[in-house]
Amino acid sequence: MNKLTIQNLSKTYPNGVKALDNVSIEIENGMFGLLGPNGAGKSSLMRTIATLQEADSGTATLNEIDIFSQPHELRKVLGYLPQEFGVYPKITAEQLLDHLAILKGITNSKERKELVGYLLEKVNLYNDRKKSVKGFSGGMKQRVGIAQALIGSPKLIIVDEPTAGLDPGERNRFYNLLADVGKDVIVILSTHIVDDVRELCTQMAIMSTGQLVFHGAPQTAIDELSGKVYQKVVERDELNQYATNYSIISNKMVGGKPFIHIYSDTDPKEGFEPVKPNLEDVFFSKINTENVLV
Amino acid sequence: MFKDFFFAEIRYATRQPMLYIFLLMMTLLVFGATASDNIVIGGAVGNVFKNAPHVITQFTVIMTIFGLLMATAYFNTAALKDYNSQFNEILFSTPLSKAGYFFGRFFGALVLATIPMLGVFLGVFLGAILGPAFGWVDADRFGPYFLETFLNNYLLFILPNMFFAGAIVFALATHWKSTVISFVGALAIIIAYIVAGTLMSDIDNETIGALLDSFGVRAYSFSAKYFTPIEKNTLSPSFGGILLLNRVIWITVGAIILGVSYFSFSFQQKNKKVKAQKEEKKEKASLRTKPQVQPVFASGSGWVQFKSFFYTNFLSIAKSATFRVLFLFSLIILIANLFGGFESYGLQSYPVTYKMIDLISGASGIFIIIILVFFSGELVWRDRDSHIHEVVDATPHASTISLSAKVLSLITLTSLLNLFFVFCAVIYQLVMGFTRIELHVYLIDFLLTSFPIYVIWSGVMIMIQVILNNKYVGYFASILIIFLWSLVMVALDLQSNMLSIGSGPSVMYSDMNGFGAGFNGRLWFNLYWFLFSFICIIVASAMWSRGTASSIKERAKHASHKLSKATKAFTVVLVIAFIGTGGFVYYNTQVLNPYKTTDQLEALTAAFEKKYKHYEGIAMPKVKDVKYDISIYPETRTVQVIADILYKNETGVPIDTLHFNIDKNWNPTFEIPNCELVFNDEEMGWMKYAVNPPLLPGDSVLARIKTAYEPKGFENEVGNTSVAKNGTFLNNFQIIPSLGYDPNSELSDNNTRKKYGLAKKSRMPELQANCDETCQSNYLSNGRADYVMVETIISTAGDQIAVSPGTLVKQWEENGRNYFQYKLDHPAQNFYSFISARYEVARKTWNGIDLEVYYDAKHEVNVEMMLAAVERSLAYYTENFGPYYQKQCRIIEFPRYASFAQAFPGTMPYSESIGFVTNLENEEDNNIIDAVIAHEMAHQWWAHQVVGANMQGGTMMSESFAEYSSLMTMKKMNDDPMKMREFLKYNHNRYLRGRSQEVDKEVPLYKVENQPHIHYGKGSLILFALQDYIGEEKVNLAMRNYLDEFKHVGPPYSTSLDFMKHLEPQVPDSLNYLITDWFEEITLYDNRVTEASSRKLENGKYELTMKIESNKIKADTLGNETKVPMNDWIDIGILDAEEENLVYCKRVKIDQPQMTFSFELDNPPAKAAIDPRRLLIDRVFDDNIKVVSTE
Repeated sequence: MNKLTIQNLSKTYPNGVKALDNVSIEIENGMFGLLGPNGAGKSSLMRTIATLQEADSGTATLNEIDIFSQPHELRKVLGYLPQEFGVYPKITAEQLLDHLAILKGITNSKERKELVGYLLEKVNLYNDRKKSVKGFSGGMKQRVGIAQALIGSPKLIIVDEPTAGLDPGERNRFYNLLADVGKDVIVILSTHIVDDVRELCTQMAIMSTGQLVFHGAPQTAIDELSGKVYQKVVERDELNQYATNYSIISNKMVGGKPFIHIYSDTDPKEGFEPVKPNLEDVFFSKINTENVLV
Repeated sequence: MFKDFFFAEIRYATRQPMLYIFLLMMTLLVFGATASDNIVIGGAVGNVFKNAPHVITQFTVIMTIFGLLMATAYFNTAALKDYNSQFNEILFSTPLSKAGYFFGRFFGALVLATIPMLGVFLGVFLGAILGPAFGWVDADRFGPYFLETFLNNYLLFILPNMFFAGAIVFALATHWKSTVISFVGALAIIIAYIVAGTLMSDIDNETIGALLDSFGVRAYSFSAKYFTPIEKNTLSPSFGGILLLNRVIWITVGAIILGVSYFSFSFQQKNKKVKAQKEEKKEKASLRTKPQVQPVFASGSGWVQFKSFFYTNFLSIAKSATFRVLFLFSLIILIANLFGGFESYGLQSYPVTYKMIDLISGASGIFIIIILVFFSGELVWRDRDSHIHEVVDATPHASTISLSAKVLSLITLTSLLNLFFVFCAVIYQLVMGFTRIELHVYLIDFLLTSFPIYVIWSGVMIMIQVILNNKYVGYFASILIIFLWSLVMVALDLQSNMLSIGSGPSVMYSDMNGFGAGFNGRLWFNLYWFLFSFICIIVASAMWSRGTASSIKERAKHASHKLSKATKAFTVVLVIAFIGTGGFVYYNTQVLNPYKTTDQLEALTAAFEKKYKHYEGIAMPKVKDVKYDISIYPETRTVQVIADILYKNETGVPIDTLHFNIDKNWNPTFEIPNCELVFNDEEMGWMKYAVNPPLLPGDSVLARIKTAYEPKGFENEVGNTSVAKNGTFLNNFQIIPSLGYDPNSELSDNNTRKKYGLAKKSRMPELQANCDETCQSNYLSNGRADYVMVETIISTAGDQIAVSPGTLVKQWEENGRNYFQYKLDHPAQNFYSFISARYEVARKTWNGIDLEVYYDAKHEVNVEMMLAAVERSLAYYTENFGPYYQKQCRIIEFPRYASFAQAFPGTMPYSESIGFVTNLENEEDNNIIDAVIAHEMAHQWWAHQVVGANMQGGTMMSESFAEYSSLMTMKKMNDDPMKMREFLKYNHNRYLRGRSQEVDKEVPLYKVENQPHIHYGKGSLILFALQDYIGEEKVNLAMRNYLDEFKHVGPPYSTSLDFMKHLEPQVPDSLNYLITDWFEEITLYDNRVTEASSRKLENGKYELTMKIESNKIKADTLGNETKVPMNDWIDIGILDAEEENLVYCKRVKIDQPQMTFSFELDNPPAKAAIDPRRLLIDRVFDDNIKVVSTE
């Protein structure tokens, strides 16, 4: 069993933005979903764990490895797919993966060839392996990125917004792949797509403005909200009225009219009807603690 | 519409800082050149004002070449702005006029591109004001301004050059929409300029070269090449002649390009061509199972990672278009250099290895620097530019490995480029039938010079890029370091190669002496710089921004723990090794072999003059007789000298003190009877020995002087090349301290003298008749010797031959060393060479005189020709001038550290680079060997038998006479006036160019002040023309009579007036004006044929009628010209169409500025000419010949 322990991690950027604010968390084997709106500090956290960024204070260890003092050791067991994954020009998919496999310590060329072939097949790019990656579509590039994250035997896999640009079929394939490997290792999946987390993750955390606002199993979170979420279609000009009177979790348009979810310990009546909470309600309720209109 | 775009373009740019930065750069560069003497761009010398029209024009034309890159920026932006901001689709869908858009943008950019160039004018103005104000340059170095200088420069150079370049760049940019291609286009223009220059390096091709140059630089220098100082100060470039033609040609070309570009320009986007995709066979993917692969991080995995990094980096450069273009450019320049490029007199050398090496470094140098600068940035930024850095950075590799791989891929690529050029050079050698291929020399030279440069700059530039962490700032800093650092060093008066990145003592390969004395020093310097480069790589690894970018400070804070323990240990070792090597190099170059910087030397020379000038006139004894005992140890480059010198007091006063000039490197000791050291100035090298009792008039003293040269360690620069392992070449002035004060070693430039508060110095004492007092010394020996007898015992290594002047009396071996004893057969000038090398000897006797050529075994090819040349000149000179007094004529090869031949008594050291390797297989070519040997042989009469007094005109009787004698042996060998004209052409050019660069004043021939362009160039032309006018035998007789009167006589020494006395009786009265015009005044001719036509007569003959225009011009010492009336004899004649034969020639009297002549001929005439053989000095000779039209 692998164990990633993060304690009191803080990071402030030179421009004063607090990217990480005293974050502490423990993560064990399995898929771990990291939810949060843009700018919540997800990528900062992931980059910090991936040894690409120094923290101002705090510690982070994976098993026995101290990430900050032994970055090299951590890199040996890390698979990382950053939010932004580009490729070199004038190089084929196979060459690129081969190069990255070498960097990840697969030094035996025969083994490497086998591994690269296997991964290419897994991400369904085997037939395109001799083509220049630069010419790949966004989805294909992303699959290359996924393949490289799986090289070696990572104990910790970090994937940052991995499904952006993938079509539904590709997305499913990707998640199957992740679920496959995620049984024995830690997989941290950062995303702002709530569904992804619901489908895949056994554990999750929600971040907002650098802080960890929730940590636990998705179902626990949903259960916590059970019976406390109500919904209603309102008129547009009444929206502000509702915002002051109720704790609005979210609002979206349905049939041209605002459709709001509110949090309430008791039945608010007034035409609200109770609704079975989903993960999205959890997400919004956690990050929208001020209950402002979003 | 045009107006809108035009002004929009300008408005936009004037709000950007770039325009002002460019303007400032130009202004500063030119300001620097104007306000100081350290920065030189074209520039002014002597009497030419620092703001003369000619100087401003030179600044302008040179700066337009740099301005090209700025222009590229503007035109490229103008063409691509809308595309780059992706505004084009919005803009082009509006109803706008194509012409207005296209030309508005173009001309807007054109105006902008010329603005930075105005910095040239600003710089001159500022320099002229601030230079004198701050005392950097004297106010009298500046003259008046002329409005037309600025106007014409703008209209003739700035605007047309920017227009032409702009048309190309704009066309490329609108078509390809790529900034890189635009810059490649700009580079191509410069390459074309350079290539055209190389191919046109001989004066035969100057006109074509002037037309082919799109910048007009060569057209201007061609039209201004013979400008005198006064013309440089007053004449602005004008709309006319070849310059105007050049401008018209290139503006037309530019306009055509622009036109084509306009008509093919369209607002619609072209459909991109899509390559038909090959039908690919889909491989049936086998269903694989996940392989059980475990990462291995053993000691070898770093190496595998390194290889992979290296491979991908290497490929990324090799496959990039920029690299290929740069590679192609340098290849083109190499090929142009290989096939073009003439050395002198339109000749080329055999492709010996050292020549190939020089060509390769010339062709590749600047491009490799560009490659290193550009790709160091590309490689450092490659991961980030490709957005893959987070993935790569998060893999378990050491930063040192990835950075070392980047450095190595740069080194490998540049090395391969260099080696490929070596391959081309070898192919060229073989194609030219040259089979002495010395691969090892190429390789050693590469490893010694180019390779270290690649290693050092790769490391340094990678470090710069990493630390600055901004690609463009990095580029800027790299370029700054390359180009500005040397200027900073000059400004701070630093000359240590330890501070100049990648420098070391030069290693100049010589076929005789290999890599020479700088070899060891260079190895140590290379090691020092290698270690420096490695340290740079480690610093870069520590500072490498892995992951998210952070500030320098932050990276520096975390730097140390980015390195592994092993790397840290290695770093400590490296730093210790670097400090150790640096210490050793410092010890050798600063402690063992201290040196003076140029500024220090200048100051020291000035201080020396101030301190010792008062000794100039004091009585000193003369050298009468010398016995040398010289031991040369080539292996250790050591020379020991024991000289027994007989000094005699020939003055009328007793001498109580001997003053010696000391060269510390030779560490002299003195054993002089009755003498005592009373003064020793070690710093400046001045010793005084008191003589007690004083040396009375007529008394002699035999002094023994011992000197020794022993090199210690290695030096900052290559050091003493006179003492070599193979090819030692010394003269007596180097090895023996001289007596008294020598005014020739003073600072000669009057501007420099002024800086140190020294009085203006005239080049030579005024010419005087009846000069018993002032003619006491000749111009060679500073009055310290007259004709001297010399005997030498010289020994050297067992495999070398040592040569000194005189007959070889005895030769023996002792302790494995060779000993030679030489003795002069006749007293001669006190000017001797001592030479030792591994020689082959070719011998011949001619009338009892031994003719010998001592040559390196590799340079046999021209030896026979040399012996024949010696024989021919001996024959002519003994017949025409009188006997030869030595018993041998020796030509002795010495290494190419200098490229001259020199005449010592009976001995002519001759550089390996000028005759031994010149390709003379084409007999039609000018035979430079004959010319040089005949010249040096002539000095055995003109210098060694008779030498002029040390005053104006003195060198006429040695250099002009020798050069004339040389021409006459050429003429005797091959009496073809057209071939002689080919040869004279170079002397015309030498004189006319020389006078245009005159720093002080021009003087007539008989008052020549040791000015090469006058005594070689003009002197030989005048004597040659004179023998044509009055007859060869008359001129030779005058020379012989003069020689007979003054042979081996002196002091007092003869002057040019003495020769004129012998010349006058030989000149018929009708031609007496020639003496005045040619010897006593400065006279030029302006001859031309204005019309030439022929008519077939009824008797079958042809009547030719030609109109000529002829002017005689007198110039004063500054170059002010006045036309004078003519009553002169000048040739007119007919040439065949190829100008290979003079068909007809007649000397006619010209007494009118315009005259018409007609005469009958048997055959139809092709070309009519005035002065067809180019005997007279005429600045423009081309118009002397005209194709004959038929009626």
